[in-house]
This record gives sequence, structure tokens and C-alpha cells, in this order.
Amino acid sequence: MRFTIHQESRPGKRPSNQDRVAYCYSRDALLMVVADGMGGHLHGEIAAQIAVQYLTESFRSEAAPALADPFAFLENGLTRAHHAIYDWAAQRQLADHPRTTCVACVVQNSVAYWAHVGDSRLYLIRDGRVTAQTRDHTRVRLMVERGELDELMAANHPSRNKVYSCLGGSHAPQMDFSRKTPLHAGDVVVLCSDGLWGPLGSELLSRRLRRGNLLEETPRLLDEAEELGGATCDNLSVVAMAWHDDYDDVAGAISTLAMPLDAFTTEMEAFAELHGQPGDVSDEEIERAIRDITAAIRKYSK
Amino acid sequence: MAAQLNNPLPPGYQLEQYRIERQLSLGGFSIVYLARDESGNLVVIKEYLPNSLALRRDGKILPSIAEEHKAAFRHGMRCFFEEGKALAGLSHPNVVRVLNFFRANETVYMVMQYERGRTLQEYVQKSRGEIREKFLRGVFLRLLNGLREVHARKLLHLDIKPANIWLRSEGSPVLLDFGAARQTLAADLRLLKPMYTPGFAAPEMHGERQLLGPWSDIYSVGASLYACMARAAPQAADARIKGDRLVPATKRWAGKYSPQLLQTIDWCLRLNHMERPQSVFALQRALAQPKVAPPPENLISSLRTRLRDLVAQ
Repeated sequence: MRFTIHQESRPGKRPSNQDRVAYCYSRDALLMVVADGMGGHLHGEIAAQIAVQYLTESFRSEAAPALADPFAFLENGLTRAHHAIYDWAAQRQLADHPRTTCVACVVQNSVAYWAHVGDSRLYLIRDGRVTAQTRDHTRVRLMVERGELDELMAANHPSRNKVYSCLGGSHAPQMDFSRKTPLHAGDVVVLCSDGLWGPLGSELLSRRLRRGNLLEETPRLLDEAEELGGATCDNLSVVAMAWHDDYDDVAGAISTLAMPLDAFTTEMEAFAELHGQPGDVSDEEIERAIRDITAAIRKYSK
Repeated sequence: MAAQLNNPLPPGYQLEQYRIERQLSLGGFSIVYLARDESGNLVVIKEYLPNSLALRRDGKILPSIAEEHKAAFRHGMRCFFEEGKALAGLSHPNVVRVLNFFRANETVYMVMQYERGRTLQEYVQKSRGEIREKFLRGVFLRLLNGLREVHARKLLHLDIKPANIWLRSEGSPVLLDFGAARQTLAADLRLLKPMYTPGFAAPEMHGERQLLGPWSDIYSVGASLYACMARAAPQAADARIKGDRLVPATKRWAGKYSPQLLQTIDWCLRLNHMERPQSVFALQRALAQPKVAPPPENLISSLRTRLRDLVAQ
């Protein structure tokens, strides 16, 4: 596999970042995840963290180096993450259960498989156009589909952020799955939280990522969303991946051809560190910060 | 509390794959070394070692950190990480490049590219006669390209001054030392005060830090240009607020430099952050096109300043 990937998560104007993002790849398979911990419930960031961690850890144990069945992997992973969040809250006897949305995508043998819960989205951008995207689990989306609202009204609707399916709540989550979608060279797969797609809209998002270097375009896209998001800008997160032919020599691209069968590379954004209390800097956090920095050095030194 | 000076690592010390040549500078927050990598190339290594929290005694390698300072020491590392992250994600010919980042000796180190040259401060101090306008415009225009990239990443440098501007032997500038680039950090840690250099720091660095923005770095750019002409730092902004004794560049160097350049400097050095160029781009436009006049002086605010000065006297 050969691809270029960039992930980033920012707090926006909120005091804490409850979004989590990660990607992980073996020689033959790639997993990307975005989870948006839900505000209004306690510990949204913990729900998001559990979801992302659960999926990446399952991936590491099951992708050997390919997954037997990517859809089954996504279904089991999301279901178990839901239970893990529920159990975490139950053990602590929390009155309110932490919740999170989640969108996850697996790419294997040049075919993409994805699933989502809630209103974090996946877009497949081909030739500058969105050729596939997830449908939010929100009432507002249903109303648009029934013709009761148009896109503009939906974008400003007071309950546009109310999701009816999430991980960690008291109901079993409703999950939607994609078709098996073969990727072409040049395709861009974008997973993002509503903090990104909300202010930008699908149109602008696809236009910005249609060409050029993802490593440069993605941070700019976040800048733009942050600007449009204004004074109340929500947490915003993205994992963007451009798919290349195996023999394409693209600067900054990752090739897994030379990876050993049992090797994994996992990138998880480390945000908590900026918002923790002074004095709680752990060894692990230091190691993570150094890993992030050296990864960035490697990425940009090409 | 009087902070003691830290002892640098000795010349010849092998730090991972690098061999220390000598100490370049010693700040309150870190020590900077010149070193060689395994293939003999020169690199610059910055060691996180705030002297208010960690002390390296003579002849020792590991710093001693008092129990009550351990948490603050670790927390201060975040500033260092911020700097590393800021620089690692940036690849620009006018911004210093980070080559490596690692942990050793109970602290952390950042390795940066070394290039032949000297700082703008050294250049100005050693040159005889006036610094030519063409040179200043050339250096600062290119430097601003780098600063624009920094701002595009939502970062502020916050310590721009001639000593942090490196001139390569062929004359192109490199922005150094992002040690103050830490807008995200808590300012409530008393032992790790935000650092700035009097004379170059914008007034909002001294007080209302929530007003910090690109215009704060732009103040420092103006102060650096002023300092190149004056060969000394301009009056510190906090002192200017109490009684502004800074002679405007337009008055001080009238006839020696073009009015347009002098006006641009005064524009950057406005005490009110709203009256300065609001973006690097706006400033670059002024520096690139000698004929464009800066916006007219805001009459009311200049009257207000004069009134305040009268009252202060």
C-alpha cells in the first residue's frame, strides 16, 4: 500500500478537546478512526478515547497482516467499544454515561470499508467531487431526506447536533456500513468531526482537498474551518488520506511494501497534555510528545 | 529567588550520537551548544534546563532537581515540546530546521541545523557606518516570509529581535529560537515566567496577554528594524506606556532613510495593537513597495497620546 496521511485535532475555542483521532497500519491494512466525545454528557473525551483505543488495539491484534473480514471487524470493534464505555461508567457508578460518535474506515487490498455511529463523517473525494459520504444519525438529516428542510435550514437548525445513535449510551448504537468501495489512485478519504464539516460544508471541503499536498492542505483546511467557526468554534478533527499507486513516488507518502508482516505503526494524537493540570506530566506523555515531534520531523524532512 | 547559573555539558561530551564542541549561549530556560553529529556535520543542540528549577553542578552531568520543583520542571518541558512541535511541522528556508528531538540526562534535547553565518545583532554591532536601507528591506522581507508561515500555523514567535535573526553567509535570514512560542501554555507558573526581551516585546506582552496576536510579533519586527538603525534596543514598551520617550523613526532618521521605510517602522511600533499592521502580509506589502504610503495617522488617537503625555508631564 502507498498513501499519504495527515491527522490533526484542535480544541477550537472550547476549553477542552473531546475529539480523538488515530490511524494505524500493518503491511496490508490501514485503519482510520475519528471519535467526537459528546458535550453535555460527562467525560465525553473518555468515551472518545476508549473508542479510538479499542479499535486500534483490536486492529493490532487482528490484522495479521490483513483482517479476515473488515466489516465484521468494524461491527465487532464498534459494538465492543460501546460496551467498554458503558462498563467504564458502570464501574464508577456514574449517573450519566459518557458518549461519543465514531467513524472508522479500513482499507485493504485497495478496497475501503467504513462504518459510523452519530454525526462524524466520512467523505470519499474522487476527481474533486464527493462520490460517497456517510449519512448522519441526526433527526435533522432525516428531515432533509424527507424534504422537510433544505441544506441551508439544516445547517442552522437548533437541533442539528442532536444525534440519535452513539457509542456509550443506554441504547444499542445504530451503525451504518458502506459498500465495499475500490479506491483509485488520487482518491482522498476524509474522516472528520462536525467541528470541521459544520463550518465548511461538504462542497468547500471537497474543493480544498481535491488536489495538492494533503500534508499542507489539511492544516489550512482546519485554519479555515476554525476561522469560519468563529468565537464558539467546536473541537475540530480530521484524518485525511490520499491513496496512491504502489509504484507512484510521492513525496511524504508512506509505503508499507517493506514492512515486516508483524509490524504496526500507530499514530494517536496526544492532546490531553495541553489541558492537563500542571505537574501531571507522566513519562508516557513525554515519550508521546517526543514521538509526535520526531514523526513530524520525518514527515516534513522529505 | 536568585537563580544560580547552570554548568554546561563539557566540550567533548558524547550526547547520544552527538559530540559537544562548545556552549553557544546560556539562557534562563535552556543551554545552547554547538556539536557534531556522527558524520562530523555541525549541529546546534538546545538543552532544556531552566535554572530556576534544575541545577547542574560543576563536574556533574545529571541536573539536581529539588522535590518541590519536579512537577514544574516537567511542566516546563511542555514549553520545550511546543517549540519542538512548532518547528518540526514547519519547513521553510527562513525558519530554523529541527533535525532531531530526544530524551537524555533526565531532560530533553532539540537538535537543529547549523548554518554558517552570524546573528543580525552581531552584524549590526560589527558593521561600520549606517546599515543600508536595501539590506534592511531585503533581510526583513525574507524573514517575514518565514514569520508568515509561523503565523499560518496559529503560532506566535513572541521573541523576535536581532539576536534571534540569523544571517547566513550569503545574506539570507533565518528565524531562530522559538522558546517563547507558547501561546497555549499556562502563564500561572511563577517559576517559568513568559520570557521576553525588553525593548522588543510588544506592550501586550507585559500585561494583557489575551491581546497577543500577529501584531505582537509585528511590533517586535518594527523594534528590530529600529534597533538596526539605532544600534540599541528601543525604549521598552511598558516604560513607553508610562511616558513615551521613543523618538519616532521618521524624526530620528529623517533624510537618512526613505520616509516610507521610517513610517513603516513607526507604524509597527504603535502602542495600540489595533493601529499596527494587522498581518505580516500587510507589513510585507509596505516593505516591498517603497511608494505605497502607510495608512494616515489616526488623528484622534494621536491627540489622545499627546494629551496623555502632557498630563504625565
